[in-house]
Amino acid sequence: MTEHSTDHPTPALYVKIAVLLAVLTAIEVALYYVNRAIELGVFNFVLLLALALLKFLIVIGWYMHLRYEKKMLSRFFATGFVIAMFCYGIVLGTFGVLAITRS
Amino acid sequence: MTELVHAHDEHESTGIENRKLGMWAFLSSEFLFFGALISNYLLYSNRPFADSVVPAEVYDIPFTSVSSFVLLMSSLTMVLAHNALTRHDQNATGTWLMATAMLGALFLGGQVYEFRTFIVHDGLKLTSNPAASAFFFLTGFHGTHVAIGVIMLLSLWGMSRRVGSLSERHGMNLELVGLYWHFVDIIWIVIFTVVYLLSTPV
Repeated sequence: MTEHSTDHPTPALYVKIAVLLAVLTAIEVALYYVNRAIELGVFNFVLLLALALLKFLIVIGWYMHLRYEKKMLSRFFATGFVIAMFCYGIVLGTFGVLAITRS
Repeated sequence: MTELVHAHDEHESTGIENRKLGMWAFLSSEFLFFGALISNYLLYSNRPFADSVVPAEVYDIPFTSVSSFVLLMSSLTMVLAHNALTRHDQNATGTWLMATAMLGALFLGGQVYEFRTFIVHDGLKLTSNPAASAFFFLTGFHGTHVAIGVIMLLSLWGMSRRVGSLSERHGMNLELVGLYWHFVDIIWIVIFTVVYLLSTPV
């Protein structure tokens, strides 16, 4: 195999990553309940999105092996993501939906 | 990935096998598909609808959290199946593929239960209001993707029962199905956060 690095993670590392993903999910759920008890406002919104983004990057980086692949694939994949964020960001902003931070 | 697994790969001028490049292009385009459905939900989720319940009022967060955990763990079993294939361990490959399919089926079962609860007990139907329609449309399409993934996993499992078939001829197939499966997982990561955890009852 010459197209990308052969230094893929070991099964032990995959399990550690799964544990990390589970912990991050638990933190997300805990934040949801904390926000219901104590108003966290924008902080809750930003933190939950940051945790989701972190989980997202971990899965594509290690489980989908994107960090071991050629950079071209990352750019390819990121293009769709960026276009989607741009287009739908405009739509949601236009209709004032970014008020999802309210509670 | 070892030489043997992808012994029959065709490398083009990009240095990346065509089918793999095609799968990444497809997954990239799926961001636009799911982005539209998530945006559609967000457009209606915080609006009040007279005399009808909205999805955010009936979410069962503990139940959905467990479903999310199940899908996350299926990503682990999927990547372990891929790893086993690189080690030419056909038995382990088949076992992890079946485990991934079962976890996917469990997630789907949870979604059916959730839909049934919403419709029968909570009175949240597909036509209750635009927010409900958007919710069922979004999560239903994600569930359809999971179902397609389960079918592909079971097909691969069937192939893995024939000794050597996956490592010799279908190694790339498993990698492509794995990419698809992990993508379904990352879309759920976004849906779980944006649709469930960040939705606020009006």
